[in-house]
Amino acid sequence: MSWLVGAALLLAAISGAFVVLSRDPKRQVFALSANGTVLGVLFFVLQAPDVALSEIAVGTAVTPLLFLAAIAASKAGR
Amino acid sequence: MSERGRLAMLLAALLLLAPVAWQVALALPAFGFPTSAYGQTINALVPHMRRVSNMVAAVNFDVRGFDTIGEELMLLAATTGATVLLRGSRGENIGDRAARLPGRHLAGRADGTVLVCRAAAILLMLFGVYVVLHGTVTPGGGFQGGVIVASSLLLVYLGEGYPAWRRIARAPVLALVEGLGAFAFVVAAAVPLAWGRPALSNILPLGTWKDLFSGGTMVVVNAAVGFAVAGSFGLILGEFMEETRGPEDEDMPDEEHR
Amino acid sequence: MNVLPWIVAAWLFGIGLYGIVTSRNYVHLIGCLSVCQSATYVLLLGIGFVWGSKPPVFYDHPPGTPAVDPILHALVLTDIVVGAAVTALLLAIALQVQKRRGTIDPRRLRPMRDPE
Repeated sequence: MSWLVGAALLLAAISGAFVVLSRDPKRQVFALSANGTVLGVLFFVLQAPDVALSEIAVGTAVTPLLFLAAIAASKAGR
Repeated sequence: MSERGRLAMLLAALLLLAPVAWQVALALPAFGFPTSAYGQTINALVPHMRRVSNMVAAVNFDVRGFDTIGEELMLLAATTGATVLLRGSRGENIGDRAARLPGRHLAGRADGTVLVCRAAAILLMLFGVYVVLHGTVTPGGGFQGGVIVASSLLLVYLGEGYPAWRRIARAPVLALVEGLGAFAFVVAAAVPLAWGRPALSNILPLGTWKDLFSGGTMVVVNAAVGFAVAGSFGLILGEFMEETRGPEDEDMPDEEHR
Repeated sequence: MNVLPWIVAAWLFGIGLYGIVTSRNYVHLIGCLSVCQSATYVLLLGIGFVWGSKPPVFYDHPPGTPAVDPILHALVLTDIVVGAAVTALLLAIALQVQKRRGTIDPRRLRPMRDPE
């Protein structure tokens, strides 16, 4: 299944580029969530279920929520 | 330095380092054929030495447990730093209502959302506790289960609203849970030291293979890390949510249309 | 395929650095920092991978079947969780900057002057 590993690595590279290239923080939150999911799939394909659990829980739910709260707080403080 | 100057310097540095990175990539062992023997030795020896089946948890909490103490204390320090920074400058007149930007539409909470969140939050917390408990047997452990429990608290916020959520997830309780977790980890490392053995030695009975309580001290350390991570992330999320609250004496309706 | 993970790790790190250098918003900058962190995860997990092997959790398959290196999994998994907490700390610092200086644009912030 080497094509699966290669495809997952290339998808991770593309989603990382999307996170950087979305300049608006509100859009970047969704790119971060997608990046977390893609990385979780990559870690799963690389035979690392523990790491995939950790990355999906953190990178898809907790980190984008922290970013959303930070954006909301920075707008409200103005 | 101007923006174009910074970008030019970055591009020059990347151009200089690119051939170096390429040479390093060629010199590393080929992908899929590692040459290190440490990992394969652990895979061969540790299932019988410690009677656990999750090698990653064994490495985290027993074989390289000392590094995990450092990571745990790093988590504690980051949480303390974020809490001190955010609480220290918030002021006294923050209420329970969400801060509103003028002209923004307020959508109420749908009944379906409340129902799904109430059911899913309880199930998710149970799942998180399951992942923590089975840390030494199946993929999982304190770190993953702790984050899952913290995200179940978020579902409570989605379903119930901010005031009810703060009543359920109180900051002193979360801080106590987090501190107890870190303290239990340090105690598990210090008790063998007081008896003249190396720190974090496995002094409890090892249990049977594939059993829930196998691994000796690993069970205690696993549960301690689960508590600490859940408490840390709950505290961080609470502090960030409180940042989005507005002043108390606004007379605009909040998200509950009160 | 022999060098693909190292190339992807270098690419992610490079593009994360590019995002940090050309960022116009501190919150966006912290997101690019998390891309740099994910480069290290890809590199570490790529080092321990063995073709045709199973995860290092011997619940379904008996110990002795070929398995991936578990030490790197342990490193990466604590790193992910602690990295999220450090991201929270950085966001708290960014919020303080917003409160005190009124702007969250790195290009408009200058170092504080000495009180003359």
